[in-house]
Amino acid sequence: MRRIDRLRNRLATAGRRLRRIGRIARWELGQSTSSYNRRTLAVVAVLVVIVGSVGASTVALGVASPAPNTDIYRVGVAADSPYNAVIEDNAALTARQPDRTALATGEIDLLVGGVRQATAGPGPRSPTLLVEAADGQKGAAALTAFRSAVQSYNDRAMALESNQTAAYPVVVELQYLPQSTLGPAAPTDAGDLTDDGETESGGDEDNTGSDGTDTDATDPTTNGTVGEANGGDGGDTSDSPDSDADAPPVGDGNGGSLLDRALFGGATSGSPAEIQPPFPFGSLLLAFLFLVPMNFVIQSYGSSVLNERISRRGELLLVAPIERLDIVAGKTLPYAAIAIAVTVGIAAAIGGGVVSVFAVVPIALTFLAATFLGAMFARSFKELTFVTITITVFLTSYVFIPSIFTNVTPIALISPLTLVVMELQGEAVSLGSYLFSTGPFYTSAAVLFLLGTGVYREEDMFSQKPVPLKFLDALDARLSGVRSVGVLTALFLPFVFIAELLAIAVLFVLPIEVSIPLLLVVIAAVEEVAKSIHIFAGFESDRFDRSVPTALLLGAASGVGFFVAEKFTAVAQLVGLPDLQLGQAALQPAGIGIAPSTTLLLLAGPLVLHTVTAGISALGARKRLRWYLVSLVAATAIHAAYNLGVVTLYG
Amino acid sequence: MADRDLWDRWHAVADRFSDPRLTIAGREIRVLGREKTIILAVVIQLFVAAFAGFLVVGLVSLYDPGSVDGYQIDAAVTGDATNEMLAAIDDRPAIDGTRYATTSDAYADFQDGTVNAVFQTTRVDDRIQVVMTAPDGSIETTLVVSEGQEALRALERNLRAERADSLSNPPLPLPPDTGGNPYYDFTYTILLPLLLFLPVFISGSITVDSLTAEREQGTLELLRVAPVTMIDIVDGKSAAMIAIAPIQAVAWMGLLSLNGVAVANIGWLVALVVAVTAIVVALSVAVSLLAPDRRSAQLLFSVGILLFFAGATLLPGGPANTAARLAIDSATLSTRLVVLIYGGVGVAAVGAVRRLATRIDPNRL
Repeated sequence: MRRIDRLRNRLATAGRRLRRIGRIARWELGQSTSSYNRRTLAVVAVLVVIVGSVGASTVALGVASPAPNTDIYRVGVAADSPYNAVIEDNAALTARQPDRTALATGEIDLLVGGVRQATAGPGPRSPTLLVEAADGQKGAAALTAFRSAVQSYNDRAMALESNQTAAYPVVVELQYLPQSTLGPAAPTDAGDLTDDGETESGGDEDNTGSDGTDTDATDPTTNGTVGEANGGDGGDTSDSPDSDADAPPVGDGNGGSLLDRALFGGATSGSPAEIQPPFPFGSLLLAFLFLVPMNFVIQSYGSSVLNERISRRGELLLVAPIERLDIVAGKTLPYAAIAIAVTVGIAAAIGGGVVSVFAVVPIALTFLAATFLGAMFARSFKELTFVTITITVFLTSYVFIPSIFTNVTPIALISPLTLVVMELQGEAVSLGSYLFSTGPFYTSAAVLFLLGTGVYREEDMFSQKPVPLKFLDALDARLSGVRSVGVLTALFLPFVFIAELLAIAVLFVLPIEVSIPLLLVVIAAVEEVAKSIHIFAGFESDRFDRSVPTALLLGAASGVGFFVAEKFTAVAQLVGLPDLQLGQAALQPAGIGIAPSTTLLLLAGPLVLHTVTAGISALGARKRLRWYLVSLVAATAIHAAYNLGVVTLYG
Repeated sequence: MADRDLWDRWHAVADRFSDPRLTIAGREIRVLGREKTIILAVVIQLFVAAFAGFLVVGLVSLYDPGSVDGYQIDAAVTGDATNEMLAAIDDRPAIDGTRYATTSDAYADFQDGTVNAVFQTTRVDDRIQVVMTAPDGSIETTLVVSEGQEALRALERNLRAERADSLSNPPLPLPPDTGGNPYYDFTYTILLPLLLFLPVFISGSITVDSLTAEREQGTLELLRVAPVTMIDIVDGKSAAMIAIAPIQAVAWMGLLSLNGVAVANIGWLVALVVAVTAIVVALSVAVSLLAPDRRSAQLLFSVGILLFFAGATLLPGGPANTAARLAIDSATLSTRLVVLIYGGVGVAAVGAVRRLATRIDPNRL
C-alpha cells in the first residue's frame, strides 16, 4: 500500500511540475508573440512582398544574375565563332573582342584561336581547339573553366542527337573494391546501385549494354555470395562455377561498413560524363536549409532570456515556488518546439525522412543550449549579439563543412548533417553512425543547459561580471565535494570529443608527418584543460582549501572521472574511425582499437596518466592564473609525450 | 608655466574643432574596445577565414589531382578495346596505362595495390563498354575516379570524332587541359565577399543594439538637458559603425594578399564596402527608431538585411558579384558604375535617415 502511495505521490509531483512547465511555456509564447506586434509583422510582410516581386520581375525579364561568379572570366572570341554559344550558356564567362594586345595587357583572360586536327602520331586522337591564356593563375583557371564549359555544352548537344550510338560510344560502369592494404573490408555492391543511378540520356543503351556482357558483374547476389563463401576476400572469382573467368569480382554490400556505402555518391553507370566522383553537392545545399531558421529561433530565445535578466523580471519567477530547472525548461520549450516544427516542415519539403529530423534535432538543441548559456553570461544586448553570431558561425561551420566530405572519409560523420546528406542520397544510416555523430550533440546540449541552470540564480543573473568570471561561476555552481569534480570532468567529455574531432578534421589536410604530432599535442592540451578548469574555478571561489593534499585529491578524482568517461569514446569504433591513421593517433592513447592482449597494460596506463597530469595542474590551480597556466603546460607536455609513446609503440 | 599655457591653448583649439558627433563616435568605438566584443568579432571572422581556407585546400587536394604534386595513377587496361583505351589514357599525364592480358591478372595486381584502377573493356555492337574499378574507402578514391573519368571522356571524344559523319552536330573541339585550378574563383566569389560583407552585417547589428539599448535604458531622455540633438547621436553612432567596417575589410584583403591571393582594385572595393555599410547602417538606424522595441528592431533588421542581400544579388551587379569582379580584376566600366550607384544609394539612405531623426521626438521614444 505504502509503495503505491509513494508512486502516486511521485506521479502527482511530476504532473504538477509538467503543468508548471506548460504554464511557463504558454506565458513565454504569449510574451514573445505580443512583443512582435502587428505593425512589425506587417512591415516584414510588405518587405518580403517588395523584394519578392522585384526578384521575380528581374528573373522574368532575364536580367537576374544570382551566380556570384557572373562574368569573371573574359574570353576573346570572334563574333561568328560557334564558341559564342558556349560562353553565353556559362555564367562565369563573358565574350570580348579577340585582340592579342588585350591579352597581353590583361583586358581579356583567354583568346580563342583555330582548331588543330588530330594527327596520326602521338597526341590526342580528336581535334583540339587552340587557346591562348593570359599569364598567371587566373589565365590557367579561366582556361579550365572554359574547357569544362565546352564539355558541358557538348554533353547537352549530344543528348539531342538522333543517332545515340554515335553520340554515346562509351558506356561506363564504376565499381569500388577494397585493396589489400586497407585490410579485409567487406567488398562493395556496384550492381545494386546501377538500378538507382542516374541514367537519363543514355538510360536504355546502358540497360541493353548491361544485358549484353556484364550479367555476371552486375548481378550482386550470385557473385556476392560466392565471394563470401570464398572467405570474404572478394578477390578472384574465377573458381566460382557460375561466372566466367574474366568477370570482375563484385561483392555483397549489405554487410559492408558504413564507409563502403558512403562512397556511393554520384551515378555509377552511364556515359563517361554521367559518372560522378563522389561529391554530393545538391544534397549538401538542401542540408544547409535546415540551419537557416535556427538563427532566427536562437536570436529570439537569447533576447528573451537576457531581457528577463536586464529588466529583472526574472526575479519574480525566482521567488515563485518553482524549481529553477522547471523555469528553464518552460522558457525553452516553445523555442525547441518551433525549431522541431520547422525542421519537420523542411524535411517534408525537401524529401528528408525520419533520419533527417532526428539528425537535426540535436543540432537545434545544441544551438538553444549554447544560446541559453551565452544569454546567461552576456552583460548587454550588444554582447549577446556577438555571442549569438559566434554560436551561429561556429556551429554552422562545425556541422556543415565536414558534411562536404560525406563520400570521402568517415571523419565527415562528426557532423549530424552528414546523416542528412546520406539520407537524401538514399543511403542507409546505421545506428552506430547515428550515435557517433549525434551523441556529442545531445550530451553537450544537456551539459550546457545544466551549467546555465546552475547560474540561474539571483547573484549571477542580475550582476555585471565579465564573461570569463561568469563562466568560472557556472562551473563552481556545479561543484560540491570531491566526487562532483570527477562527475564534472566526465560531463566535459562530449566537448573534449567535439574538440578532438574538430582538430582531426582541420589537421586532416596536412601531411601525416606534421599532423600526427600536432594532433597529439592539441589533444593533450584539450584533455588537460577539461580535467582542471573546474578545479581552478573551485579554488578561485574558495570552495576548496588551497592545501597540497586537497589539490592532489581533486586531481585524482578528476583523472578517474575522465578515465571512466573516456571509455565511451569506443563508439567511434562503430564507424571505422580507428582505421584512419589520424583516428588512430587520436584514439589509441585511450586504449581503443587495440588488440585485447595489450589492453590490460593500456587500461592501467591511461588511468595513471590522467590522475598524475590532473594532479599536476590541480597543484598549479591552487595559486593564481599564471601558475595554473604554467602547470597546465607541464601537464600537457607529459600527456603529449605519453600519447606519442603509445602511438609509436602500437602504431 | 609655459606648459600650462600650451595646454590651455591646445584646449582652446580642441574646443573649437570638437564636435559632439565626433565625441559620440569616439565613445562608441571605445565602448566596443572595452567590451572586447570587436575582438570576438575579429576572432569569428578569422575562424571563418581559416575554415574556408581549409575548405579550399581540402577541395582542391581531394578533387583536383593536378594539385597533388607527383601523384601518379597506375591503371591496368584489359579487354578487346585496350588499344583505344590506352590511346585515351596517353592524353592524361596523371595516368599511366598498362596492358594486361587477362582480367584476373589485372584484378590480382589491383588487390595488391600495384595498380590504382582497372579498366576492363568490352566491345558490344559499335560501343565500348568499360567497367572501371577504383579503390574503395581511401582518400585517393576521388582522385582516381575523377582522373579516370577524364580518360574515359577522352576515349569518348576520340570515338565521337571518328563517327562525326553520323552526328548532325559534331561536338566542338575542346581546348587542351592545362591543369588550371578549378576552385580558383571560389576565393574571389565566395570567400572574399563573405569577408567583406560580414563586417558590414556586424556594424548594422551593433547600431541596432546601441540605439535600442539607449532607448530602453531611458538614457535618450537625458538629451533634454544635454547640448546634443538626436541628429548628433545618429550621426555619431553611424559614423563610428561606418568607419569600422572598411578597416576590417582592408585587414582581410591584406591577409589574403599575404596568403598569395592577389586582390585587385582595393580602392574600389573599400568604396564598395563603405557604400554598402552606409546603406545597412541607415537601415538599422531607421529600424531602431521606428520599431516599437528591441526585439522587433532586431527581427526587422535581420529580415531586412537578408532581403537586401537576396534582392541585391538577384539584380545584375549584386554586391557579391561586384566585389568578386573587382577583386579578380575583371571589372568593367559598368562594374565601377555600380559601385557609384551603391554610393549614391548610401548617401541618399543616410540623408533620409537624418531627416527621419529630426522628426523623431526623443522623449516619445
